[in-house]
Amino acid sequence: MLAWLSDKNSPLSTIVQTFNQKTLPPGSVRAADCPFLIIDLELTGLNPKQDHIVSLGWLPVRKHEIILNEARHYLVQSPVSVGQSAVIHGLHDKDFQQAHDLTEVLTELLQRYAGYIFVAHHSQLDCRFLQVASQRIFGKMAKFSFIDTLNIELYRLHKQGIVMKKDALRLPQCLTRHKLPQSGQHHALADAYSCALLLLSQLKHSHADITLADLQLQSR
Amino acid sequence: MDVAEVTTFLAKTTPFDQLATAELANLGANINVYYCQQGETIQLSSERLMIVRTGIFALYSDQQTLLTKLEEGDFYGYQLLLTGLSDNDNLVCEEDGLVYWLNADAFHQLRYQYKNIDIFFQRLFGRRLHQYKEQQQNSRFTLKVSDIVQARKIAIDGGQSVQQAATLMTEKRVSSLLVEQNEQLIGIITDRDLRSRVLAAGLAANTEVSQVMTAKPHVIDKHAYLFEAVQLMSRHNIHHLPVLDNQQSYSMITATDIIRSQQDHPVYLIGEIHRQTSVDGLEHCSSQISSLALTLGKQQVPAHEAGHIITTITDALTQRLIALAQLELGPAPCVFSWLAFGSQGRMDQSLNADQDNALLLEKEPAGEIAEYFAALADFVCQGLARCGITLCPGNIMASNSALRLSLKGWSGQFGKWVNSPTPDALLKASIFFDLRIIEGSRGLFNALQQDILARTQDNALFLYHLAQTALQRSAPLSFLRNFILEHDGKQKKGLDLKKRGISLITDIVRVYALAAGISEINTRQRLVQLAASGVMDSKDTQNLSDAFDVLAQLRWDKHQHDLAQGHDVSNLLDPNVLSGLQRHQLKDSLTVINDAQSSLKQRFCRDL
Repeated sequence: MLAWLSDKNSPLSTIVQTFNQKTLPPGSVRAADCPFLIIDLELTGLNPKQDHIVSLGWLPVRKHEIILNEARHYLVQSPVSVGQSAVIHGLHDKDFQQAHDLTEVLTELLQRYAGYIFVAHHSQLDCRFLQVASQRIFGKMAKFSFIDTLNIELYRLHKQGIVMKKDALRLPQCLTRHKLPQSGQHHALADAYSCALLLLSQLKHSHADITLADLQLQSR
Repeated sequence: MDVAEVTTFLAKTTPFDQLATAELANLGANINVYYCQQGETIQLSSERLMIVRTGIFALYSDQQTLLTKLEEGDFYGYQLLLTGLSDNDNLVCEEDGLVYWLNADAFHQLRYQYKNIDIFFQRLFGRRLHQYKEQQQNSRFTLKVSDIVQARKIAIDGGQSVQQAATLMTEKRVSSLLVEQNEQLIGIITDRDLRSRVLAAGLAANTEVSQVMTAKPHVIDKHAYLFEAVQLMSRHNIHHLPVLDNQQSYSMITATDIIRSQQDHPVYLIGEIHRQTSVDGLEHCSSQISSLALTLGKQQVPAHEAGHIITTITDALTQRLIALAQLELGPAPCVFSWLAFGSQGRMDQSLNADQDNALLLEKEPAGEIAEYFAALADFVCQGLARCGITLCPGNIMASNSALRLSLKGWSGQFGKWVNSPTPDALLKASIFFDLRIIEGSRGLFNALQQDILARTQDNALFLYHLAQTALQRSAPLSFLRNFILEHDGKQKKGLDLKKRGISLITDIVRVYALAAGISEINTRQRLVQLAASGVMDSKDTQNLSDAFDVLAQLRWDKHQHDLAQGHDVSNLLDPNVLSGLQRHQLKDSLTVINDAQSSLKQRFCRDL
């Protein structure tokens, strides 16, 4: 199960290379048939250059099903104190004694989920942090193909001509609108799970044969 | 690394609620989550357990009859997991929802490790078999042959003499025999055959049965419907049909058997009641009420019709008792009306209803008049009690002198309730507002009813208090949460279908009807009138009417069950005996009641 970790022979830079070379599903494929990796990061701030990843949570969706067996949640050793951001995600320095090395975590992520379409709610931020981290750790920027459940939701609501209230696109409000169970917020895995539920619902409520390319357009 | 939302849900779902935290996390890791959309059919592609997280799923049999509805915390797929046999049923999503799929290995490991969890699913499977079998039986509308004939095989060998046949028939008091050879049915012989084919033809007493019998007779299987037997008999103009079980002789069914089986019909019973000349006779007649009720149940007569029929029988008993009383006491000294209140008044009487009645008199009850009607009321009330309609514990009976009043007396009494109402007084009095005439002067009764409606219609203060009374009890929705399987040892009390269900609807509807001056008193009829006159929204009246039917049906089924088991008839329902569909309907109905109570409060309890 941990084969990708024991593969110590591959130099770090090839990890990103292998990841980037893996072919992604073509745009013409039915979106529902794509493998997705739903990911959420908790951060010390919003600036990828200055701030750090505090924790990561992810889970894959294959054949329309969220596979909880592959759900992961990692606290990451931070070069600096968690400080002020603890107010938001409730993680304190003492929680990080069992924290993982970000190199290990990203290695698992990149080796295991190459060829996956990544998904996040407000994905721009997560994508930027992952790119910067891969550049810093592996000396090469990983190319992620992200779709954004927030933008898909925005598209849907626009199309239905719904007037949006403030906060309407935040994850909890989206869950309520889709009649999905709420999770505790600001926990990377809990948020990734909520985002996965939202994606499944969005897919079901799109036209049945919606292609990956269509979905990517909506998520722009 | 568990997803908290999933493990939290599992932790409160029977039977996983007994697992430790680590076990729950492990269980969660073996789950896939799927979003299902309305209209989608669930594919049980591989052996795994479906756990409903949200949404509603309807399970249909292969004949497309609705078997049950699954909702939060319900399971599907355990039959295949437990037996390796798949069902031909069909699970369709009715309301978008999330489904957890637990893989087979984890399921089996859990059963292996936890005996209680194994037992839980075995029982679920057992209950399911039982439920669906019952539902399929009930979907038939008529009796079967086996419902009316016993296994009573009276047969003679074809080689025996007609005299021996006659002896056997006399001995067994039957009019026909099955004729067999080597244990196989070869014919029948009837007493008519003995007359026309033996005696009239001048044959000897030692003639072999096989010579005069009807060979190769028409037969019917014991599992056939009764109407098939009737058809066969009338088509061929015959009166005896051998009944076979698995191709072997089982019994004989005769035209008389069929007629007798139909005699439970209420028309026969009511006719018989009116022919009785003594209270003893009436008591005897009413002993048939429970077998009539069972037959009505088997014939799938819906609860509201059954309620109507039972009321009609009580009416007939009352009318006959009044006639018998007058035979004994002489004709009444003045015009009167015999009134019924409560469920008899509303014509939705159940098998365990007690008496609620009174007398309305043309003249003031004094002197001779008072004495006469005291005696009459006593005769009738005691008579009804002997016929199984128990005396009212609250003494709301004509035998109570406070309830034998003139029109003026009653009008004054209603005036008091209407003009100075208190919830406490109304709680007792509300039953009086559902009144119906059973016997006597209709004119007198109409005068009283007009008087009451004139007092109540648009009388805000009275209606406020009546509504308050109707709101004193609520439908116990919380009671339904997760009641499918209680842990053993928990007390099982049950839901009082009358107090916490049917009566609540009756009370709500009464307020609207009195407010609108509607003279109907049957709850379903009141709802029809309320919708027709626009007093209530037709969707609301439909919902209330449906909820009323569901609750009345559950009570009627419960009473049937009690009767069949030889128990006292009770309104207490153990929710564990309900099927998923019934549970769903019950929950819907209780929700309807709660909603209707809020509307009632809005409408009548606001401005004061």
